[in-house]
Amino acid sequence: MAENNKWTMIVDLDKCTGCNACVVACHAENNVPIANEEEVIKGRGLHWIRIERYWEGEYPDIKARFLPVFCQQCGNAPCEPVCPTYASYHSDEEGLNGQIYARCVGTRYCGNNCPYKVRFFNWRAPEFDEPLNQQLNPDVPVRGAGVMEKCTFCIQRIQRVRQTPEGDYGPMTRDGDLQTACTQACPSDALIFGNLNDPESRVSRMLPNDRQARLLEHLGTEPAVYYLKGGTTNVGE
Amino acid sequence: MTSLTRRHFLKISAAGTATVILAGCDTDERWVELEPYVQPPLEQISGIASWYATSCRQCPAGCGIIARVMNGRAVKLEGNPEHPVNRGRLCARGQSELQVLYHPDRVTGAVFQAERGSREYEPVAWNEAINTLYERLNEAGSRVAVWLGSSTSDHLYDLFRRFTEAIGAPAPVRFDLYSAINGYSALSSASAQMLGRSTLPAYDLGRADMVFSFGADFVGSWLSTTGYSVEYGRFRSQPNNQRGYLVHFEPRMSPTGAAADQWLPIVPGSEALVAQAIARLIADGDTGSAERIERAAALAGEINLEAVPGATGVSMEQLERLARLFARAERPLALPGSPLTGQPNAAQAIAAVQMLNVIVGAVGQPGGMSLSSALPEGAPAAAPISTFADVQALLGRINGGEVDVLLVHGANPAYELPPGAGFTDALQNVGYVVSFNPLVDETAVWADAILPDRTPLESWGYNVVTPTFQGVPVISSQQPVVTPLYDVRPTGDVLLTVARGIPAAASALPWTDEVAYLQEVVAGLPAGAQGGDDAAVRWARFLQHGGWWTDAPTGEEAGAEAPEAAAPITASAAEFQGDAGEYPYFLHLYLSPLLGDGSGAAVPWLQGTPDPMTTVSWRTWVEINPRTAEELGLSHSDVVRITSPHGEIEASVYVYPAIRPDTIAIPFGQGHEAFGRYARNRGANPLRLVGMDAGEDAASFNWANLRVKIERTGSEKALARFESTIEPGEHAHLPLSYGAVHERIEEVEENVEMEQE
Repeated sequence: MAENNKWTMIVDLDKCTGCNACVVACHAENNVPIANEEEVIKGRGLHWIRIERYWEGEYPDIKARFLPVFCQQCGNAPCEPVCPTYASYHSDEEGLNGQIYARCVGTRYCGNNCPYKVRFFNWRAPEFDEPLNQQLNPDVPVRGAGVMEKCTFCIQRIQRVRQTPEGDYGPMTRDGDLQTACTQACPSDALIFGNLNDPESRVSRMLPNDRQARLLEHLGTEPAVYYLKGGTTNVGE
Repeated sequence: MTSLTRRHFLKISAAGTATVILAGCDTDERWVELEPYVQPPLEQISGIASWYATSCRQCPAGCGIIARVMNGRAVKLEGNPEHPVNRGRLCARGQSELQVLYHPDRVTGAVFQAERGSREYEPVAWNEAINTLYERLNEAGSRVAVWLGSSTSDHLYDLFRRFTEAIGAPAPVRFDLYSAINGYSALSSASAQMLGRSTLPAYDLGRADMVFSFGADFVGSWLSTTGYSVEYGRFRSQPNNQRGYLVHFEPRMSPTGAAADQWLPIVPGSEALVAQAIARLIADGDTGSAERIERAAALAGEINLEAVPGATGVSMEQLERLARLFARAERPLALPGSPLTGQPNAAQAIAAVQMLNVIVGAVGQPGGMSLSSALPEGAPAAAPISTFADVQALLGRINGGEVDVLLVHGANPAYELPPGAGFTDALQNVGYVVSFNPLVDETAVWADAILPDRTPLESWGYNVVTPTFQGVPVISSQQPVVTPLYDVRPTGDVLLTVARGIPAAASALPWTDEVAYLQEVVAGLPAGAQGGDDAAVRWARFLQHGGWWTDAPTGEEAGAEAPEAAAPITASAAEFQGDAGEYPYFLHLYLSPLLGDGSGAAVPWLQGTPDPMTTVSWRTWVEINPRTAEELGLSHSDVVRITSPHGEIEASVYVYPAIRPDTIAIPFGQGHEAFGRYARNRGANPLRLVGMDAGEDAASFNWANLRVKIERTGSEKALARFESTIEPGEHAHLPLSYGAVHERIEEVEENVEMEQE
């Protein structure tokens, strides 16, 4: 492929219902272990994508807002320069923050430096009670104790499409051929994934958008995730 | 077992249930062929995925799924993009069907339990298990009862119904907590009354522009959640930049309340009053078309409008605004939610909400309501959900000693009925209890035998979908996507095998195996979207595409015509159980969006995923308004005792800012005493607070009209909250256990000091 890709996610907050379909899809696709009750109480819950729920206002004029947060795949990522072993690295080819588990020695500097708190540390080796391990996705490694992990924009799916001979499955980068596990599951179509360098892709057509914002944009991190804020209605009133 | 390929398994799946009673089992089509090892297993190339279409059985909605199978293992489920219900999407519960397949505590073969409740199971050969069942059934004659769940495959319902009919026993009862709380039978009988056919109503939410939801948590746990979530996405982005407006009436904010443009915390049980007041105000006002005003005048019964704000908690100004919004909208739609169906006046309350749809002419219109599409002649009908009256009749038969053999599949009545039903005690009157569930659930604990069925991803079947979407009738197909993990037998085959030996049943169930039955059903279907001229092609495409449906709406969804103006409808607020003095708080129960009615509690993915509103996982909590919590001196993690006129439970407090101060809310889902390692002894089952009272039509038991009291127990149990537990102003970076750690540090320091001295 001649040109670099710029994988981008759009999160339409007007459609997100907080249902957690994306969360479970991610656990299934990426072999993310489930933290038990004690670990969650200790603050060691582990989900590559999480639904943050914010309350606004007070009863009875109160609103709940959902904000799905996962690795923002920064163009200028704070996690990358602090890694002493180059386990966090930048892929210009895909426009992603890579995480090479085999290089990670668990300094947790990257997690410390990430303003989005989307990197998770394996405090112990993950357990999959047999035969639950038979479900594990063979395309994704299971991370051991002492390793940092995070959302990869389902890099294994990107790789699989890249490695597929064109003749079998059609053009490699046709928009929609490639979906992350979370976008594929999302019932209300709140998550949209695509290549921003492809002018025909759905994300390219949706951006720029009146409703768009990026998380902590002022830090200069250049996130690849765009949030579309809740719409106002044009019916009624 | 593992050397068996999927293709071989399909061939021998029937022959596997080798008949022990009768010879002459006709399996000539399904011989086992021996093949040399040099031939690689079919459909398996290392590293390349195979995809199989099947249907999800984690709730009764009947979504289509495609399973990614690699090297013989099912590794991922996705929504079937062709399927008219979920259209390529799949909810958290559906995704988790994989962990049902690979659950570590599955029953791996037939077992007997010598003493009920002992949990000491003795493995037994299938031949012996099937023979014993045959003998018991043969002796029992018509003194047999079958209890199925709403997620039991429809083909099993059909086979069991044929069986009970043949032996002269009452039809199977199909009832579980999911269908009870969602009010399947109450909604169906309301459809029958209003539009002449007993089926679930279908709502074209995606094309409506003004939706009033009366407690229908359609993006969380209502009827067909994934289908309605797809619709919700469309509702938010309609053609020409139109964006629908959603008003949600509910005492406690559910995910749908959070998604709504306006959430109105009404007094519990007052939904019907609000609906009627809106109808009355449309009739008395001058907003909307003359037709709408006329219909409103004809349908809205007498109501004392002045009393409504006090009884519902919605101001008159607000009611007038809502009436104007609804009357003026182009395609308004009203949804009758679950709480309506758990009130004593369920039929009246549903009618009051449906009346709004009639007033605005939404019946049978795009963006409106209709009935679930009827299937054409020759196709199987959707299996009906039993009313609570049917359940009570069955309990009466059991208590009266009229049942010698009870067969339970897909339901868990020992967990899913109010304790007042006395289900486990009643079982003493039953000579032989058989559970077909793949996991030991509360009912299996009291069974004499467990003849585990295959889990959905290893099973055959079909599901006649209700509610339907966009007027398209659907039968979802189900096929094994992997070779069964264990030596477990399909319940359909077990039934067909034993039926062969029972003279009355043999001719009613002539099929060799369940696959033969399914093929016959599919051969009888008219041409659908998948085409196929002969039976074999049609069967292949039925499996390949994930079912049968039509290209376009059939228009057969009766109710395309607005019903004749009926008599005016008068609503009233629900009457509550429990004295307001002794029990000062309303109880709002709801289905967990993740664990559902508790049938999702067995798998770690659902246990460990945070609840959308509270972010709590792994346990039951009690939601209390911050003001109420302050009055009672309660805060997060305090364990409280909730007492209703029928029982009590204990759980930790979650201070929930979006609930009425006079109401407390508790999710269903936990409180299992069995059901595998992840569910057992975890949280509380709020069904203990519910009694056996039922309304006039007895479609469901009354679970939405309870009052309770709250007492502090004095103990504390922290909840596993994924959200930040640091209060504003507190030092960040301190884990919850900071206090304990700090004490420990002080202790160590003191010791060091003492040693130094």
